[in-house]
Amino acid sequence: MFTYIAKRLLLMIPTILGIAVITFAVVHLAPGDPASLKAQSASEALSSDRMTREIVEGTRALYGLDKPLHVQFAVWLKRIVTLDFGTSYRDHRPVIDKIGDALPITLTLNILTILIIYIVSIPVGAYTALKPKGFVDRASAILFMALYSLPSFWVAMMLIALLCSGDYLNWFPIVGFVSDGASILPWYGWVSNVAWHLVIPIACLTYGGFAFLSRFTRASMLEVIRQDYIRTARAKGLPEWRVAVRHGLRNALIPLLTLMGTLLPALLGGSVIIEQIFSIPGMGRLGFESVLARDYPVIMAIATISAALTLVSILITDIMYAVVDPRITFGKR
Amino acid sequence: MNRLAYFIATALFLTVPIFTASCGGTVTRDPNVLATTLPANPPTLNPIMAADETSSEVDGYIYESLLKLNNRTLEREPQLAKDYDVSPDHLIYTFRLRRGVRWHDGTPFTADDVVYTFEQIRNPKVDAANLRNYFKDVKRIEKVDDFTVKFVYARPYFKALEIISGAPIISKHAFDNGEDFNSHPVGLRPVGTGPYRFVEWKTGRHIILSRNDDYWGPKPAITGISFKIVPDGTVRFELLKKGAIDMDSMRAIQWVRQTQGTSFTDNFTKHKYFVPNYSYIGWNMRGPYFNDVRVRRAMTMLVNRDAILREILLGEGEVVATSFYKFGDQCDRSIEPLPYDPVKARRLLEDAGWADTDGDGILDKDGLKFSFTLIIAAGSPLQRSMALMLHEDLAKAGIEMEIRQLEWATMIKLLFERKFDAAIMAWAMPLQQDPYQVWHSSQVDEGSNFLGFADARADRLMEDARQEFNKSKRNKLYREFQQIVHEEQPCTFLFQMPSLVAVAKRFEHVIDYRLGLDVLEWKIGPWPKLIEW
Repeated sequence: MFTYIAKRLLLMIPTILGIAVITFAVVHLAPGDPASLKAQSASEALSSDRMTREIVEGTRALYGLDKPLHVQFAVWLKRIVTLDFGTSYRDHRPVIDKIGDALPITLTLNILTILIIYIVSIPVGAYTALKPKGFVDRASAILFMALYSLPSFWVAMMLIALLCSGDYLNWFPIVGFVSDGASILPWYGWVSNVAWHLVIPIACLTYGGFAFLSRFTRASMLEVIRQDYIRTARAKGLPEWRVAVRHGLRNALIPLLTLMGTLLPALLGGSVIIEQIFSIPGMGRLGFESVLARDYPVIMAIATISAALTLVSILITDIMYAVVDPRITFGKR
Repeated sequence: MNRLAYFIATALFLTVPIFTASCGGTVTRDPNVLATTLPANPPTLNPIMAADETSSEVDGYIYESLLKLNNRTLEREPQLAKDYDVSPDHLIYTFRLRRGVRWHDGTPFTADDVVYTFEQIRNPKVDAANLRNYFKDVKRIEKVDDFTVKFVYARPYFKALEIISGAPIISKHAFDNGEDFNSHPVGLRPVGTGPYRFVEWKTGRHIILSRNDDYWGPKPAITGISFKIVPDGTVRFELLKKGAIDMDSMRAIQWVRQTQGTSFTDNFTKHKYFVPNYSYIGWNMRGPYFNDVRVRRAMTMLVNRDAILREILLGEGEVVATSFYKFGDQCDRSIEPLPYDPVKARRLLEDAGWADTDGDGILDKDGLKFSFTLIIAAGSPLQRSMALMLHEDLAKAGIEMEIRQLEWATMIKLLFERKFDAAIMAWAMPLQQDPYQVWHSSQVDEGSNFLGFADARADRLMEDARQEFNKSKRNKLYREFQQIVHEEQPCTFLFQMPSLVAVAKRFEHVIDYRLGLDVLEWKIGPWPKLIEW
C-alpha cells in the first residue's frame, strides 16, 4: 500500500508538468496580450492616443513578455518550484494573496451547496428506490429534472427581479454576503445577516444539483436492494427502515465515492455566472477576469493548483476504494 | 418525504428575512454617506499606474493635481498650485504651490512631492507607460524652493499645461521608503490631499472613503462615499431601485422605458451629460475595398444613423460628423453628416467600378467580390444590433458583410496588427483633443492610426496646431482638418453617447454640468431611515 502511494505521488510530478506546459502554451497562444490590454481602460471605448507600439512594448519589457516563450516558461517553473506564484500583471499584488482573498468565499459557498445537495438528494434517491414508480418517485424526477434544465443566469435574474428588487418583493439583498458595517452587530445578528445574504445565491447554486445525485443514489440503491443479503436481512425479521438504511443505503453509497474524486477540485472552482451576478468575489470571478485581462500569472496559478488537487483527489478516491471495499487491494498481484 | 422537503424549503425561504429582521440582523445606512457602484474591482489605486476608469473614479476623490477643471467654464483653475507662469516661448512652466496643504497622514505637502511624482511617471521601471507617453517632451523638472516647481519642455505643445497640471500628485514620504513602487502598499491604501480619505478596500466587494475633515478647501457635505463593486449592469439597476445605492448610471432602455413609474420618480432624479466620446465604423483604408474615397462615402450613405439612433439607442445619443467633442469649441458643427441615401451610394459604387457583373446579387470588381468582415466587441448588444441592421442595408446594396464578434483582447490584437476590413469602435477622448496620434500619417504603422489615414495637408494642419497657443487660431486649423476628414470619410462617424445617471432624491443641489455631476457640492436633505442591504 505504502509503495503504491509513493509511486502514485511520484507519477504526479510529470503529470503536473505536462499540464503546466499545455496550459502555458494555450494561455500564451490565445490572441491578445496583457500589455496592449493594459493600455486600454477595460471598457469598450478605446483611449485614443494610447495604442502606440511604444507604450505596449514598454509594458511588455516590464512584465518580461519580450523574452521567448520557453525562457518565460523556465522563469515561471523556477519560481513555482519554490511555491512562488509571482505577482499579478493587473495590480502587482502577489497571486497567492489574490487567491487567498477569493478562496474562503468560494469554499464557504461550495461547502454549503454540496451539503444541501447531499442532504436532500440522498434521502430522496433512497426513498424513491424503495418505492419505485410511486408518486414521490415520479414527482421528484419531474421536479428535479425541470430544475436541472433551468439555466442558472435566468433563475438568478428572476429571483432578483421577484424577491430582491423594488418592483415586487424587496426581501433579500442582492450583492455580497454580508452588509457593510455588519460587524457592529452581535454574533447572532451577524450570522443572520450572512444567512440573509446567502439565501438567493445558494438557492441558485443548489437547485440544479439535486437531479443527478438523487437519480444516482436511486440507481445504486435499486441494485443493492435486489441483493441476497437484503432478502436475508428481511427474512431475519429486521424492521424495514433498518434494512433500508443499515444494509441497503450503506452499500449503495460506495459508488458515490467515485464522485468524491471530483469534489475537491469542485470545491475550489467557483461558478462564474453566479459570482458575476451576485458580485461575489470568489474563484470563478478571479479566474474569469484574469482570462479576460490575460493575467498570465493568475491563470497559471489557478490552473496548476486545480490540476494538483484533481490529481490528489483521484488518488484519495482510489485509496478510499481499498478502504471501504475489502475486495480491492493495491500492491499485491 | 417530498412534501416535507417542499415545506421545509418554503419555510426556510420565508423565515430567513423575518428571522434576520427580528434578530436585529440588519444595519441602518448613514444617510450622509453616498452609496454608489463600480463596474469592476480597480486594479490599483495608485493614481500614476491607474489606467482604467474605476481607479480614476475613486482616486479623483483622494488625490489632487496642480490645477483642476472648472465645472462651468471648463477652464483650468488653481488646486494644489496657487498660480502659475508660462514663459513667452511656451517652454517653461512655473507653478507656485499652495501652502498649508497636508497629506491625509498629516505631513505637509511640498515641492518635493511634485518633483517625486513626475520622476516616477518618467521612470521606465514604473508600470505607467500610458502616462509616461505624454511626458516625452518634458526636459527637466526643477524644485526652485519648497513651494515652487519649474517644468522645462523640449518643444512647445499646446497641451503641455493640461498634461502637467492634470497629473495626480502623490506623496513622496508615503511611497519613497525603499519598497518597489509598482507593488507598493500605498497603491492599495492611498494617501492623498483630496477632500476624501481612504478607509477600506475589500477586494471585489467595496471601497469606502470618508470625508477629510482637515481638507484645505471647502469641505463637502457628504461625509463618506461607499463604492460597491458590482459587475452586472442589470443587478446595479436593481440595487438602485431597491434603495441599496444612491447613484448609478443606466442604459438607454432603462432610462427610457424602466424609470417612468412613480416608485422610481419619487425616489430618484435623472441626469444626462456628455463625456467626450464618439463611436464609428472604421474602414481599413489599406484593404482592397475601402482604399477608394467614393466607396467610403458610399458606405457612410448606406449607414442609416437616424434609424439606429431611433430603434437601437432609443433616441439617447447624438449623431456626430467629426472626431472632436460635439459640445466643445474644437468641433466644427457646421459639418453635416453625409445623408442616408442608398440610391446615391449605389451610383458612387458604380463610379468606383463596383458592379454586379456575374449576376449573383453581389457587387464585384476585377473578379473580387464585395464581401468583407466587420469586427465588433462581443458582449456589446448595442454594437451587435447596429451590425445586424447594417448587414441588412448593405445586402440590399449588393454588399456582403460578415459579422464577427470578438473578445476584447482579440479585437485589440487585430486592430493592432491592422488585420481587419472594418470595425465598430468607440474612442474616449479628453476635452481638448490633439488628433495627432489617431490621424497623423506617422502613426499609420506604429500608432493609433488603425485606419491608415494619410493626408499630407491634414498632417501639416495637425503639426501646426500642436504648436499654436492661440485657441481661436488653433481651432481654425482644426476646422480645416475636420473638413479634410469629412471629405475623405476614413470612417463613418456614428454617435456621441450620453451618460445617463440617476441620483437619490435626498441629495440636493445636484447640478448637471456638461461633463458630469460634482458630488463635492451636493447637500443632503431630510430622509427616512435607510437599510444597509
